[in-house]
Formats: sequence, structure tokens, C-alpha cells
Amino acid sequence: MTAAVHPKRPSFLAPPRDPNEVTLAQTKQWPGTVLWVDARSESEFASEHVTDAICLNFENWTEQFPKFLDRYNPGQRVVVYCSATSCQLSREIADKLRASGVEDAYFLEGGWEAWQQQNHP
Amino acid sequence: MRLSLLLSLFLAIPAFAQLKWDTTEQTLKPKPGDREIVATYRFTNTGTTAITIDNVHTSCGCTTAALTRNDYAPGESGQIVARMDIGNRTGHQEKSIVVTTRQNPKSPTVLRLLTDIPQPVVMKPTFVMWALGESPNPKTINIKVTDGFAVKLLKVDSDNPDIKVEVSEIHPGVELEVKITPKDTSRPEMATLLVRTDYPTDNPQTYYAYVKVK
Repeated sequence: MTAAVHPKRPSFLAPPRDPNEVTLAQTKQWPGTVLWVDARSESEFASEHVTDAICLNFENWTEQFPKFLDRYNPGQRVVVYCSATSCQLSREIADKLRASGVEDAYFLEGGWEAWQQQNHP
Repeated sequence: MRLSLLLSLFLAIPAFAQLKWDTTEQTLKPKPGDREIVATYRFTNTGTTAITIDNVHTSCGCTTAALTRNDYAPGESGQIVARMDIGNRTGHQEKSIVVTTRQNPKSPTVLRLLTDIPQPVVMKPTFVMWALGESPNPKTINIKVTDGFAVKLLKVDSDNPDIKVEVSEIHPGVELEVKITPKDTSRPEMATLLVRTDYPTDNPQTYYAYVKVK
């Protein structure tokens, strides 16, 4: 079991990559402004977050989704992140955004941890 | 001679502690109206020494994991009961519970809870937008009750009279088509559509859709 979740496991054990998962490097290649969504708790968001990100998760969806729409423009790419690779929230929130009509909603590989490691502002 | 050989062989067998799990992954499907999902993970200490579970950590604040006690002698069994609060969650969900023992702290067991949570009412899309100056052609939101849910769609209200809303019943109480037209797209406008239902009976839910001119 440990081997299956080890970050350096052999690639042949890796599950197929989700087509909606993106890396930071990929997002940097995109034209236009990415709208970042932080799916972590409000307290984690308050402590630190990607610049200009909006806090949106299952707990605050009803009050925060209208605020998300204030910032969102159709056709814009949206990238959701949570704590790290092991958290599933970013994928779940990206799924919910797409189900709501946000076509280009993706989730960040490695989450906030990856963002910090790459020394982004 | 034989005795000393047997004794040395016995001493050469290392004592070990090991938890054997009935299953480490469960896929559960909640029924309409369920507010939580409960999964039980049973285990047995199949090792030769006692084992202590030091930590049970869940990947989501929505999930709790309860362990009745921490210490298990060889041959003893126990269970961890995971409860996931459904809340506003919908769709495919994957939660993990990491179990760490004192004897093997660097090799935790990862238990997984997989589920697909159906949404009682599905709106496609949940918002419509017009850009400023865009032709104010109508846009449509389809609202439908998911099979298996005893929900009746009662009515749709708009909180902005400048956004025209026409509701057509495709299947009365079960499926609606809402045509939305802004009177004017030369200035920013917004409206919230309130989709009222009779479900659940003790606390009927209102669903929200959003209209924006921006």
C-alpha cells in the first residue's frame, strides 16, 4: 500500500493522469489570466494563498460562488488547488465548477505545496 | 545438541506485529436523503506481538474516523468507523484515512472511501452571462430532479425585475426550462434565481442560479 502511494513510485504503477490535472508549468504557458480557486478551508486561505485567488469549497459554496462569478469571464481558465497531491478537494471542486457551467476548470498537480516549492508569489 | 539447534532457530524468528485488513478500500453509494456515509474497516493483528495504533488521520475535515481502542494483542480484531458528512458535496468523492502504528510508523496503511453522491436537483448550467453590449438574446437553464429523489420543483423566482424569466414545465414538478432575457445589456445587471422545492420535507431546499450582465 505504501508503495502504491509513494511519490517516487515507478511510473508503471501510476494511475492514468486525469485530463483536467495541470502543472504549474502548463499554466504559465497559457495566454490570458488564470483565475485561481483555493479549495482549502477558510482558515488555511486566510493564512496564505495564491495572489488574487478566491476561496471556494463545499462548505462556503452558496455564499462564495456568486463572488466567483463576479471575477469569472466565460472562456477564462480556472485552476483549483488544495493542500497537496494527496488531497482530492481540488479535483472535486473543479468537477463541480464544470458541472455548473465553467467549462475550463482544472486542478493543480501538487496543490499549494507545489506552488510554494516553486517559489511563486 | 538438538535442543540448542531448536532454541537458536526459535530465537532467529523475529517477533512481528502486523495488521491484516478485511479491505482497505470501500465504494459506497448513499441513498437519497442520506446525510452521511459510514464505512467500517475491520482488521486483525496477525502478528506475534501486540500492536498499538498511534494515529488515525483523515484527508478531509468532512470525515471522522473512530477507533474503539488503540492496543491489540496477537489474534485480536478491531475496526475503524469512518463517517463522511455529505453536506453540500456532490459527485465523485475520494477520501483517505491514514492509520499509523507504533510498530511500523514509517509504513502507514491508507484506507480509502470512494463514493458518488447524487444531486437531488441538477441545473445546467447554474449561471448565464452576457457581456456588456452583447445582444440580449435569451439563454436557457434546464432544471431537473434526479431519478430516485421525491422532489417537486415548486417555482422559480427572480430577485431582479429587469431580468425577464419564463418558466416552461417539461415534466410538471420534475423538469423545467427557464428562459432568461435581460432587458438591457448596456449596463451591469445581476439576478439570483431561487428554485424552490418541497424536499426534504422537514427543511425544503432552495437551489440558486445566477444571472449576470458584466
